[in-house]
Amino acid sequence: MSCNGKEQYRPVKARTEKVIIETSNIKTFVFRPEEPLSFLPGQFMLVTVPGIGECAFTPSSDYKQKETLEFTIMRAGSVTGLIHQLQAGDTVGLRGPYGQPYPLPSYHGKEVYVVGGGVGLAPLRALMYGLNHEIDQLKKVVVRFGSRSPQDICYRDDLPSWGKRKKTDLVISVDTAVPGWTGNVGLVTTILKDDDVDVKNAVAVVCGPPIMMKFVNKRLLDMGFAPKDIYLSMEKNMSCGIGKCFHCNLGPYLVCKDGPVFTWEQIKDIPEPW
Amino acid sequence: MPSYFATQADLEALLARLIAEGEVVAPVLDQGRNILQTVTAATIKDVNLAGYRTVEPYKSYVFKLTERVATYFTPSPAGQNRRLVLFGLRACDLSALDVYHKVMDEGEPAYLVVTADCTACGRTCFCNMVGGKPYAAAGFDLNITALENGYIIETGSPRGEQLLSPLPPATDDQLKLQAGVRNGTEAQLETVNQEFKCKCNINWTEAHRLNLENSKAWKEVTKKCVECSACNFICPSCTCFLLLDSRDEGSLGGARDERGTKDENSRHKVWDACLKNGYARVAGGANSRPKLFERLQNRYHCKFDYSPTRLGRYTCVGCGRCIDACAGNIDMREVYAELVRQVPLTAKLV
Ligand code: SF4
Ligand code: SF4
Ligand code: FES
Repeated sequence: MSCNGKEQYRPVKARTEKVIIETSNIKTFVFRPEEPLSFLPGQFMLVTVPGIGECAFTPSSDYKQKETLEFTIMRAGSVTGLIHQLQAGDTVGLRGPYGQPYPLPSYHGKEVYVVGGGVGLAPLRALMYGLNHEIDQLKKVVVRFGSRSPQDICYRDDLPSWGKRKKTDLVISVDTAVPGWTGNVGLVTTILKDDDVDVKNAVAVVCGPPIMMKFVNKRLLDMGFAPKDIYLSMEKNMSCGIGKCFHCNLGPYLVCKDGPVFTWEQIKDIPEPW
Repeated sequence: MPSYFATQADLEALLARLIAEGEVVAPVLDQGRNILQTVTAATIKDVNLAGYRTVEPYKSYVFKLTERVATYFTPSPAGQNRRLVLFGLRACDLSALDVYHKVMDEGEPAYLVVTADCTACGRTCFCNMVGGKPYAAAGFDLNITALENGYIIETGSPRGEQLLSPLPPATDDQLKLQAGVRNGTEAQLETVNQEFKCKCNINWTEAHRLNLENSKAWKEVTKKCVECSACNFICPSCTCFLLLDSRDEGSLGGARDERGTKDENSRHKVWDACLKNGYARVAGGANSRPKLFERLQNRYHCKFDYSPTRLGRYTCVGCGRCIDACAGNIDMREVYAELVRQVPLTAKLV
């Protein structure tokens, strides 16, 4: 979609096909745009509630599935509150995709260490589809995911199957267990083990709440990851999505245009980038 | 490009022709200051090209306070196309428009540019500290220098050449007078800004290394800031905006969806200000600059540190409007001079 033409701020009309309840405050929305919109894992789009406003989200679906796009959205503010009221048949607008995708070809021949928390699983789901399409070119994919409690885990039907994919190893941990939970208990940092990956030949991809990213990043550095091999999804306030309004600035960068994914190497000198 | 000599009558004739074909905004003297006005046949004589910039920036004629930038999901209504002439803007305002176009990247601007040299500078002018000059060297259709007894008009584009009716070429003596005006204003700028003893050219890599972000200087200036955002709004080179949507009531003839929602909505591009607390807040409340001093600091970083990386230039043109407008009497030059004192090895002293 054009970033400087006359229609740069105009969303494409889309129909809400389906709403899936993931957790008490997270839902997945399946939208069918009137014009084809394709994205690559890591890129984001702006979802318009007609007449109200837009919010930026990274699609969580498989980029090869072109007819519909899925967005997993946490209820957090006023626009996301209205998005949560959407029902099948409702009209929304979509603008994008914008931003830089994960540089997947540069991961070829390496191990990919995917670390996520909370609703950060949404962009990582799109990434997981992408990695799975190229799994033959990768050494292995290791996924470590943390959630507040078992009830707060998204994609509960789908998630366990990720671990059964070729060359993929998945561990989920919850901060607080409930009766019946047989998996790990503890913050996600507690399941990042030194022998999970060969840090010299691996990249780490992290997405989650800012505070979690901060601690995971620190742990990854301690494990020996090079700053250029840690990919972080940064969340900042966005309005235009195309590098013009300056709302999303992160030091010298604009998250919408230069990101939303940055390597730690790029942002390590910015005071409190989170 | 060629320079011509024009009398007051020639200038008024030029303005009359421009007004006949579109909107002309120009400086008009009001209580000793130049203010920006739309010129009409009745006010042609009031246009004043002497002195320095207008109180208000020209940007608001190009970057509107609020502008509808999209309608959805109905077709966009056709825009109206009256020719706009920015008349008498100074080099600083011209440079600020360059910032706007670099940021927005929306193609060649449609308006005509008639710049005017500063025949004097203001108390708060500091274009010389950010690498500017009080006259434009390029980027105009016409440039005018007001002399005692007439004007020198230089053409800067074929479009500008076409605007002129035949005029005599400027003589060497007249060109000497022009050089005198320019040198005089440049010298005046040096005098006005002498006390700051610096140019705005800190080596920011060094500043970050010295942890200038945590300097007490920021907290000191912040004490004076009342967070009114006047500096943001009056600044010709602040270009931040927010997109705001509204629902239109049936005027655009849209359809309804299955649940009866009407398809008639507008999106507006509205000026925003980085000093406002909500500027960087995300849904859910997290804010990357919750403290006022962080926001104030970000404004300086944006203009002097980040913009060279993003746009290849500073985004302060030294017009001094923010100094005039500040309710807390914050003078950007003083703040900068303080920073220079703290990064002593790298900023070039003059
Ligand atoms: S920051 Fe102040 S001096 Fe610089 S361009 Fe803006 S208003 Fe003018
Ligand atoms: S800042 Fe410079 S160019 Fe602008 S009005 Fe003052 S002297 Fe003229
Ligand atoms: S969201 Fe507008 S510049 Fe990034």
